Amino acid sequence: MSPARVDNLDLMAPPIIRTIGRRSLVVGLIFAALSLIGAFIRPDQFFRAYLLSFMAWLGVCLGSMAILMLRHLTKGGWGMIIRRILGAAMRTLPLLALLFIPIFLGLPKLYIWARPLDSISDQHLREHLQQVTQSYLSVSGFAIRAVIYFVIWGGLIFFLTRWSSEQDHPSARDNSTRFKALSGPGLVLYGFTISFAAIDWVMSIDPSWISTIYGLSFLIGEVLSALCFAVVVERILFRYKPMSELLKPDYVHDHGKLMLAFIMVWAYFAFSQWLIIWAGNLPDEITWYMRRLNGGWGYVGLFLVLFHFAVPFVFLLSRPFKRDVTRLVWLAIWIMLMRYLDLYWMIEPNFSQKLSVTWADVVVPFAVGGLWLGYFFHNLASKPLVPAYDVSANEVLEPVHD
Amino acid sequence: MDERTEPVTAERERAPVIEPGYTFGSVTDKISSIVLTRPTSNGWFFGFGLAFLLTMMMLYAIGYLCVRGTGIWGVTIPIGWGFAIVNFVWWIGIGHAGTLISAILLLLRQSWRNSINRFAEAMTLFAVASAGIFPLIHVGRPWLAYWLFPYPNTMKVWPQFRSPLIWDVFAVSTYATISLLFWFIGLIPDLATLRDRSTNHASRIIYGILAMGWRGSARHWHRYETAYLLLAGLATPLVLSVHTVVSFDFAIGIVPGWHTTIFPPYFVAGAIYSGFAMVLMLSIPIRKIFQLEDFITERHLQNSAKVMLATGLIVAYGYIIEGFMGWYSGNRYDGFTLWNRLHGPYAFFYYMLLICNIVIPQVLWIPRLRSSPIWLFLVSGVVLVGMWLERFIIVVVSLHRDFLTSSWGMYYPTRWDWMTYIGTIGMFLAAMFLFVRVLPMISIFEMRTLLPEAEVKE
Amino acid sequence: MRRAGTYGFMAEFDSPTSLVAAAHRVQQAGYRKVDAYSPFPIEGLAEAVGFHRDEMPLVVLIGGLIGGITGYAMQYWMSVISYPINVGGKPYHSWPAFIIVTFEMTILFAGISAVLGMLALNGLPMPYHPVFNVPRFAFATKDRFFLIVFSSDPKYSSIETRRFLESLSPRSIAEVPD
Repeated sequence: MSPARVDNLDLMAPPIIRTIGRRSLVVGLIFAALSLIGAFIRPDQFFRAYLLSFMAWLGVCLGSMAILMLRHLTKGGWGMIIRRILGAAMRTLPLLALLFIPIFLGLPKLYIWARPLDSISDQHLREHLQQVTQSYLSVSGFAIRAVIYFVIWGGLIFFLTRWSSEQDHPSARDNSTRFKALSGPGLVLYGFTISFAAIDWVMSIDPSWISTIYGLSFLIGEVLSALCFAVVVERILFRYKPMSELLKPDYVHDHGKLMLAFIMVWAYFAFSQWLIIWAGNLPDEITWYMRRLNGGWGYVGLFLVLFHFAVPFVFLLSRPFKRDVTRLVWLAIWIMLMRYLDLYWMIEPNFSQKLSVTWADVVVPFAVGGLWLGYFFHNLASKPLVPAYDVSANEVLEPVHD
Repeated sequence: MDERTEPVTAERERAPVIEPGYTFGSVTDKISSIVLTRPTSNGWFFGFGLAFLLTMMMLYAIGYLCVRGTGIWGVTIPIGWGFAIVNFVWWIGIGHAGTLISAILLLLRQSWRNSINRFAEAMTLFAVASAGIFPLIHVGRPWLAYWLFPYPNTMKVWPQFRSPLIWDVFAVSTYATISLLFWFIGLIPDLATLRDRSTNHASRIIYGILAMGWRGSARHWHRYETAYLLLAGLATPLVLSVHTVVSFDFAIGIVPGWHTTIFPPYFVAGAIYSGFAMVLMLSIPIRKIFQLEDFITERHLQNSAKVMLATGLIVAYGYIIEGFMGWYSGNRYDGFTLWNRLHGPYAFFYYMLLICNIVIPQVLWIPRLRSSPIWLFLVSGVVLVGMWLERFIIVVVSLHRDFLTSSWGMYYPTRWDWMTYIGTIGMFLAAMFLFVRVLPMISIFEMRTLLPEAEVKE
Repeated sequence: MRRAGTYGFMAEFDSPTSLVAAAHRVQQAGYRKVDAYSPFPIEGLAEAVGFHRDEMPLVVLIGGLIGGITGYAMQYWMSVISYPINVGGKPYHSWPAFIIVTFEMTILFAGISAVLGMLALNGLPMPYHPVFNVPRFAFATKDRFFLIVFSSDPKYSSIETRRFLESLSPRSIAEVPD
């Protein structure tokens, strides 16, 4: 490929991206203001919804980082075409780190272990907390570990971003070896940090319950939502140049196949956990499901089985469906909603025996999401959509109709 | 003038899947001659003879078992599972790499698999056969092992489908069937090649019958490829399900050390880990002895090493999460299991397991060692030992100290245990020796598709 | 017109490229009863000889559905109707436990349908076939590529067809005896 081609082809995102970003920001600010008012009126409801929204959008950010590192290890045009989308999504980590701070304000509202021990009426739970809290689940431990997680993620994202930016310039050196050297250990680090973060931030809401597969379930959920998000953005970009010329059905097909694979892995983890706990029927464990299958929550669980797994699975078996981004995008949006519902089903029954949806569950996700999307689209618009001087970009830069 | 500096990428330095200079004819001749014209060497006879003797030893041990019962083994109460289940899980895990290479890598369009999938699939079959022996003889009265299957009987009883052991019967027999079919389907075009190339009348008739009249019609190829891809698509979830079901054999029960939700993915990763170790242990000598370095290149060794590294890390993740949760849960039984592994009478084996499975394989991070056959051979051996120890720890250490101290016990394998175990290794190797002698160990037709001339130019 | 004793004309080629090109030419010339033989699968060749409907996915889907339904129904009947026993206080109809065997049976039936379906649709095993009468056809499983026009084709004529095949500049041409 001649350098002239790179110059001719404007690889920057279309101007509409900045417009969408601004509008998202406005929506985010309006909803943030509403949430803030709500937070003073019903702080308990606010914080649950806030944790839920935070985890949902953090998932897109970190999942993008994981897919990006996977791409650096395996190559392939499917990853190159969404590389900058993933990059823009993962560069939102500073915002998420900032948004993590309010969780500290609501610690006792969210986590039973953060409350004074005397206030806990359940004798068994109090004894359990006395054993665990002092050494692990304490406010200072929680804070220190959170800092460690964010530093590790931030470090990975910093280098991934920096080396990627170098490849926008003609004088770029080849970074693929460096990317590879970082991505292998990076994925290992991600696997461990997200598992322990999931334990700290979500699983410990019920401090007496454990499941060893929990971290992996969380991980696959994040990766799945990040992939779906990338497909959605890919669809928006596909309307305009340059993506309309670069996105080939083969890449979309690969994204569809990955969606299918991730959905199957999610179902596999979820079913394994359910079957093992159901069969064991131990009081320590089964209570987690008892809460989530009674009081109306069972319908949510059934809905997830059908619409987070079964129906998307059947759609994704179809080859034409996977190859057409204009159809795949609807499923991607749907699965992102299902990811939110899955997190809701994991978090909310801890607080409420009966199925309930509060104002906060609707308003807060828009607040966090609007701000996040504003930042994301800003990131997306600030760099070319393909790192033109990466060696492996040539394959992608060939126009569809030659 | 291109301003970009000419990149020297790892991509370009990477070894090829097949060395240059081959044609359709020379690939065919090279692989088929191993079966058709190469004289059977003394080394082959020696190796096969040794493996055959070990197989006989196994048959002797099993024969004695039928006469005297499982009392000749080291199994006692509370350790009722012992070597039989340890070896079963070890063998079936090894088999998984074959299906992974033939099915999953096919779906991922990893064409480098084409030169190792055939013997990896053979390895799967023989490993599953070796694995299958153990539960059958472990039931105590092997001649009644067909009771495991649901069949109409005069006792008017049916298997109990809430038990993971019956799931295992279905999973393993489905796995054996599908692996055999997949392997045989893959062989048909090559059997036709052998039929057309062999000069000996008897072998032509045998290969001719097995090839079933394959003639390479375009219509046939089309259905063939679709069927092959669909089989790969079916085998992929199947192979994951098999070791998942094996993990359920443990996790469904409520024994501390067994009942933990991470077991399914952790067992699957461990299976692939040990399976790739076995693939490397077999392919490194085979490529040397049969001069197949042009087909099984450094690239294959590197990629297998990477898969081992990745799956080994998942196994390490499993240990760490299990250890952490044992402490975090505050559950005294889980806590004791952890303590017993680290300080109990079998602690030595647990530390050996950590060294073999986690510490030593980390050398695979070094790219130079990933291309060194000697290093890979040694690390693979270590991993195979480590994965065997893992199953030993899971089975024996979880059982030997029951909830009541009065029921505590120790497990010591007897010579019959060892004879059976080593005997199955002999049977596995004997089958591999026969396989490389009478069937093409590399898929000839898939190798042809790797050649540059195979591409249709417009 | 089918001539007694002739199965068709067969042309031999050197490379997959020339075989696919020849197959397209034969199609353009109006021949419909043709087939091609190659030592490995070639993309687009089946379409070039007029093969469009591959029934394999349907066969496998039906096989899988039958397997899954059989698997679940079998477990339900055995555990709930024929021989209900209480194990660990679990319900007779323990659906979470039944999913495993249902899954395995789906895969088993689908896999067997894939193999048997492929063989049946391809008409294998077939010990005798006229093309094997051509001595050079032994190379079809090594490094040669063959194209055949069957004598059952309405346009078939022993002179015209031979001349036409010669115009494709094959390596050799043979009449396939029936």
